[in-house]
Amino acid sequence: MKRVIPALVLSVAGLIPVWRYEPSTGTTSTTESASTPSVSSSTSSSGSPGSTTFTGTTVATEKGDVQVQVTFEGDRITAVEMLKQPDHPQTTAALPKLVAETLAAQSADIDTVSGATVTSDGYRESLQAAIDANGA
Amino acid sequence: MGFPVSLRVDDRVVPDGAGDAVFAWLREVDARFSPFKADSEVSRYGRGELSADELSADLVEVLALCERYRVATGGAFDVRLPGRGLDPCAVVKGWSVQRAAELLTRAGLTRFCLNAGGDVVVSGGPWRVGVRHPELADRLCAVLDLTDGAVATSARYERGDHILDGRTGRPATGLDSLTVVAPTLTEADAVATAAFALGADGVEWAAARDGCEVYAVLPGGRVLRSAGFPTAAAGAPA
Repeated sequence: MKRVIPALVLSVAGLIPVWRYEPSTGTTSTTESASTPSVSSSTSSSGSPGSTTFTGTTVATEKGDVQVQVTFEGDRITAVEMLKQPDHPQTTAALPKLVAETLAAQSADIDTVSGATVTSDGYRESLQAAIDANGA
Repeated sequence: MGFPVSLRVDDRVVPDGAGDAVFAWLREVDARFSPFKADSEVSRYGRGELSADELSADLVEVLALCERYRVATGGAFDVRLPGRGLDPCAVVKGWSVQRAAELLTRAGLTRFCLNAGGDVVVSGGPWRVGVRHPELADRLCAVLDLTDGAVATSARYERGDHILDGRTGRPATGLDSLTVVAPTLTEADAVATAAFALGADGVEWAAARDGCEVYAVLPGGRVLRSAGFPTAAAGAPA
């Protein structure tokens, strides 16, 4: 096990800049250069025989706490799990959750209608025209 | 550009001229930014008659927005397609109607609903905004509850295949309809157009943008929406 621990420390430390990386849309970009967080593998619990799971300490970043759990089979990392990650807009925005539904037609009491650009001809027949006529 | 504009104001006190200012601004935008008017600033710049340092601050802002969305879509959203004049309509519309809504806010209005040719900005809701069904012109495919914000829809029904994928120069046909809710119409309209140009991949691209919620109708009647899309509680069934 002595052999494995330095590798783990490097792996965990290596994950921090990966998480910290944020695609910048602006012109300036900040790079995290200094201050490698000190991470130590504190606790360890064993899973299936031959595999070992390490839980890193919680590392505070400017966006919030990060804690990772790494599973080894011998020298090989087989799984990395984020136990804690900041609830930051960029974290959630990176993984949009899409819900699948089936198209349905409905009519309902509404204030206005969004649709692709309506020309004057199209407008005369449109729901928005009916709403406007009703309110006029 | 020629689209109908509807404005509803629910404030008790409406300053004189607040509504007129909106329509005057939108007419001014049409005169200055329409690519269909030969003497507009956009047409003159497109023909090379104006140099970059002669442009108005407004057009510089519009061109910067165009470039931002072109880069963000890997070229799918492009206002300078080969063989065509400069056509920044897709950005100008959302940007100018958002500016119109800001005129109302600055005039002291707090409760209004502005609809410009299907693009919507609301303030001081709750407002119920219907999304036109892509095939049935008199029906809705979704209803959303919105207090403050903007809604824009890109679809093929009215003008046919009018949105081109800048990467191929061909009409975008991957989606039947795509609606974006965003804090401003500048963002909602440009993202809806850009995502539509991207096709099926555009749904996830738009949903990943900060502050954007998406409702997309795919060919065949499948709907994909972002989890945060502000769908209203079940309305009266048809």
